[in-house]
Amino acid sequence: MFVSRSMTRKVITVDQEAYIFEAQELMTRKNIRHLPVVDKANRLIGIVTDRDIRSALPYRFFKESFSETKKEKLSNLSVKDIMSKNPISISPTYTIQDALLVIQDSRVGALPVVDDDGKLTGIISVRDLLRAFTNVLGIGEPGTLLCILVEEKVGQLKKIVDAITKENISFGSVLVARYWDENKRAVFPYLLTQNVAHVKKKLEKLGFTLLDPMQWYLDQLPKHEVTAETPK
Amino acid sequence: MNKTGFLYDERYKLHETGHFHPEVPDRLPSVYNGIKKAGLLSKLVQIKACMPEMKWIETVHDKNYIQRFEAACSSGKTIFDSPDNQMCSVTYDTALLAVGGILAAVRQVMDGELNNAFCAVRPPGHHAEINRAMGFCYFNNIAIAARYIQKQWGIERVGIVDFDVHHGNGTQHIFEDDPTVFYYSIHQHPSFAYPGTGREFEYGKNLGYGYTKNSPVLPGQGDTEYKRLMQRDLFPAFAEFKPEVILVSAGFDAHVDDDMSDIKLSTEGFSWIVQKIVEMANTCAHGRLISVLEGGYSLRRLPELARNHVEILLNG
Repeated sequence: MFVSRSMTRKVITVDQEAYIFEAQELMTRKNIRHLPVVDKANRLIGIVTDRDIRSALPYRFFKESFSETKKEKLSNLSVKDIMSKNPISISPTYTIQDALLVIQDSRVGALPVVDDDGKLTGIISVRDLLRAFTNVLGIGEPGTLLCILVEEKVGQLKKIVDAITKENISFGSVLVARYWDENKRAVFPYLLTQNVAHVKKKLEKLGFTLLDPMQWYLDQLPKHEVTAETPK
Repeated sequence: MNKTGFLYDERYKLHETGHFHPEVPDRLPSVYNGIKKAGLLSKLVQIKACMPEMKWIETVHDKNYIQRFEAACSSGKTIFDSPDNQMCSVTYDTALLAVGGILAAVRQVMDGELNNAFCAVRPPGHHAEINRAMGFCYFNNIAIAARYIQKQWGIERVGIVDFDVHHGNGTQHIFEDDPTVFYYSIHQHPSFAYPGTGREFEYGKNLGYGYTKNSPVLPGQGDTEYKRLMQRDLFPAFAEFKPEVILVSAGFDAHVDDDMSDIKLSTEGFSWIVQKIVEMANTCAHGRLISVLEGGYSLRRLPELARNHVEILLNG
């Protein structure tokens, strides 16, 4: 659950004196979008992204009408001129959940991971977090996902787990998500079996509602976010 | 009328799967009786089970896996590799007989004694991986048939159509690097059904890239969507690939009355699918088609589905 277990340790970094074209070339070659900038002692002093570089290079640069002197000036730009100084960073003892919330709040694509001495020890990107959650979902293993609607009260999940366990079925994962009705929850057990017909009938006999797969959703209703951001 | 083979053997019922398991021996009499009651038996060339040469199974599965399976079975284990794969003392032998019978059917089609064949076997095969039993399957019947055809008759291009409601992960993985075997599968979308593979963006790997095609179908869909997807994804692909033989993983569990899925194919929808596959075989493969039973668990619907299936094979 700790960032130190999911982050990339061999971080590709760049010197602040490097030209931005060198940084751009490095990112293209390594297929990455974030370059932490470190000093000689490997202390984090900034970060530069492919977007920073694209913003620094006006479109006209690539047209012939752009004067040679201006071209040269841009070519002489170095990383320190465009990097974000004092970027948001996290500690290796942060959890995956911490990283997820920080990334969501700060709207960045990756977080440099810095130890107590300010030294860069890794980087964790949205891609790393996705890998971790693919693993949590258990979808690398063959299985069947169900969606069960339950009243929001203590003991419901136990009934479900007991019923499934009695069928000798193993769990890949169990997710619990919000549902439209405030007093209901949607429970998603991912079962490592093809043979779910019998257990589905059994759950229905216990009084649970199995939700039509086309009505499943794992997220808060998208409507919510749209209305929040629409100017009034 | 075609010369159509029909593989059926009482011994396929000997593989027992225990309580509350849908893959029951009774599936086979359902298939058989549906065909018999329609008076079709006399029109079919009946084929019996037989033991295969092990070398053909080894073209797909690791020797080590085969030994593991035999050992697990003979030591009295009731589960092999996954809890879905429940077995009894003769499961290994039954799985061998399934392969042997299918290879006999293949031989008769390839030697021109038959135009096509339907193999009503148990256990099914399309989930079986090179090294792992899964989803009621032990030997990948259809994959072994494909390799047998290629090696014994020097056939270059084999096309596999899998309309079982579950994705044939085993078959896809076995041939994902292989540009000589085109694997097409139409099945319930993997986010809503076992085994969780067969997504639209899986196209094969390396040299085999472009020779795997999947059409995931959303829950609740039926005939219209199957027709749309097969017309879009399968027909043009096979018209270009030009398979010299077509193998069919025939699973009947996408039927609206089969509780193994949320797909709502009608009995007529299955007939349409099979008719179209037969037409493709007539166009590019001299009509050579071998269909092998995979899933299909509605004992009420299996008789009519099997009857229609062989009727279409007979009428070509």
